[in-house]
Amino acid sequence: MKENGNAPGFAIEARDLTKTYGNLVAVNRISFNVKYGEAFGMLGPNGAGKSTMMRMIYCRSPLSHGLLRVVGKDVTLDARAINGAVGVVPQENNLDPDLSVRDNLLVYARYFHLPRHIAEQRADELIEFAELQEKRDVRIETLSGGMKRRLMIARALLNQPKILVLDEPTTGLDPHVRLAIWEKLRELRRQGLTIVLSTHYMDEAEKLCDRLVIVDRGKILVSGTPRELIREHARHFALEARGCNGQPLHTGLPQVLAERRGSTHFYFAPSAEELAPLMKAYENHEVLLRPSNLEDVFLLLTDNERLI
Amino acid sequence: MPALARVNFGDAWRVWRRNYDVYVRLWKTEIIAPLFEPVFSIIGFGWGVGSLVAGKVMGVPYLTFVGAGLLAFTALLRALFECTYSSFFRMVYQSTFDAVLCTPVEVESLGLAEIAWGASKALFDGLFVLAVLAVFGAVTSPLSLLIPITLTIGALWVAALSLLITSRIHDINNYNFYLAFVFSYLWISGAYFPLERMPEPVQWLAWAVPLTGAVDVSRQLMIGNLSWKMLAETLYLIVAFLVTAEFTLRSLRRRMVN
Repeated sequence: MKENGNAPGFAIEARDLTKTYGNLVAVNRISFNVKYGEAFGMLGPNGAGKSTMMRMIYCRSPLSHGLLRVVGKDVTLDARAINGAVGVVPQENNLDPDLSVRDNLLVYARYFHLPRHIAEQRADELIEFAELQEKRDVRIETLSGGMKRRLMIARALLNQPKILVLDEPTTGLDPHVRLAIWEKLRELRRQGLTIVLSTHYMDEAEKLCDRLVIVDRGKILVSGTPRELIREHARHFALEARGCNGQPLHTGLPQVLAERRGSTHFYFAPSAEELAPLMKAYENHEVLLRPSNLEDVFLLLTDNERLI
Repeated sequence: MPALARVNFGDAWRVWRRNYDVYVRLWKTEIIAPLFEPVFSIIGFGWGVGSLVAGKVMGVPYLTFVGAGLLAFTALLRALFECTYSSFFRMVYQSTFDAVLCTPVEVESLGLAEIAWGASKALFDGLFVLAVLAVFGAVTSPLSLLIPITLTIGALWVAALSLLITSRIHDINNYNFYLAFVFSYLWISGAYFPLERMPEPVQWLAWAVPLTGAVDVSRQLMIGNLSWKMLAETLYLIVAFLVTAEFTLRSLRRRMVN
């Protein structure tokens, strides 16, 4: 059913979104839309303004300028309604250490005014979703990092949100745990939940997001699907030569983009053929020819020492 | 719009319940431990100091006189500690406030819940100390049943002031100044000896603090007196609470939503 007879519109609509702290511009006139059912990623280095944008979405950071509508509601006017319709997993776990796993969910459900029997039913379902059945009555401090993160996600789903907002969902977790969390998030995406996440992990963005923006210094540098971004900004193939201290980059080759990062030289081209001549030039080095990935896009866009 | 008008009492009640649930869960350390000291202070002051005080103080036995002061201060310090260190813990170390603010609960409701919780703990302790005083025979009037109301209002003011300070500080050591003022004030509050014995400027200073009224009203009720002055003291306390709470909620919004 459509609200107010309007078109369903966007899950999130940001226009000229700006946040300043004194002289510091944390978010600088950013505009983007997130569609319902989409998994949308914000990728950027630390300090790029990702967390500030996330906080603006869940109404913890008032806008300095611009417009932000979440589930069709203005963040400056309707914070209460928005937070009722959004599930939030902040960067830092903030589970209640004084309560058990299940009580964490039950107490949190109260803040959404859920009746007791519904809260209990959802808590039990979500404990199962988070695979914490064995831990339901233990205190939070006995949980592993991965369990805590899963419980954070479970808690954010208590109000059956229209949008799940995750700020760096897997930062600091080991590879197995990250895979397990991604699996959970993909499951939610399949169910049609709108997901907005920030990350500085390229693989995470590539695996989870239908569409993403790369942000740096409060600005969106590029936006698109992971595939599009790689094609447009990092060609198709990459050649990586390690241990090239003091050697010059081979610049000026047709169709080839060259870049130095530390002692490693990078070359990007639309096909492997264009890179083949370079293989010889680096005969005595560790050389890797591979498809370009999101990390290349990211580093190409956020790096200042770029040479063409 | 005043910050107080933004409070949603349904939301505040739910945050209050979170604190209450934890309190009951940790009952040994939370409920039992804090009650030892007041009992021994009654024994110490009543029998120890009381035996040295010949005759009556302001027409009542010294235990009744000092009991009212101890009662008021036990309760008020409880509110103070709850809304300083405990609230700071929830705000900074446990990020409980952050978690709550990701829900429809807004910062004003959260702040009022913290204040109300501090006052509730003060009331629980106050009722216990009142019962102990009754056992010791220091409670002489049925008007004493009104004392919890006075204690609650006084505790609300202390809780609001304490949370105001909590919302401003970033280092837990900064409470030392606040505690220094409070414990200094304790000696001129009229809790342990009649204010009338103090030099006039000290008396004025003491009466300027709304708590002095709470101590006085508690004592008068315990003895069985009613007067217009007590009403004025209570009104002053209520106004002080509302004004302070308004500042507190605004300050907490600046701290949490930025």
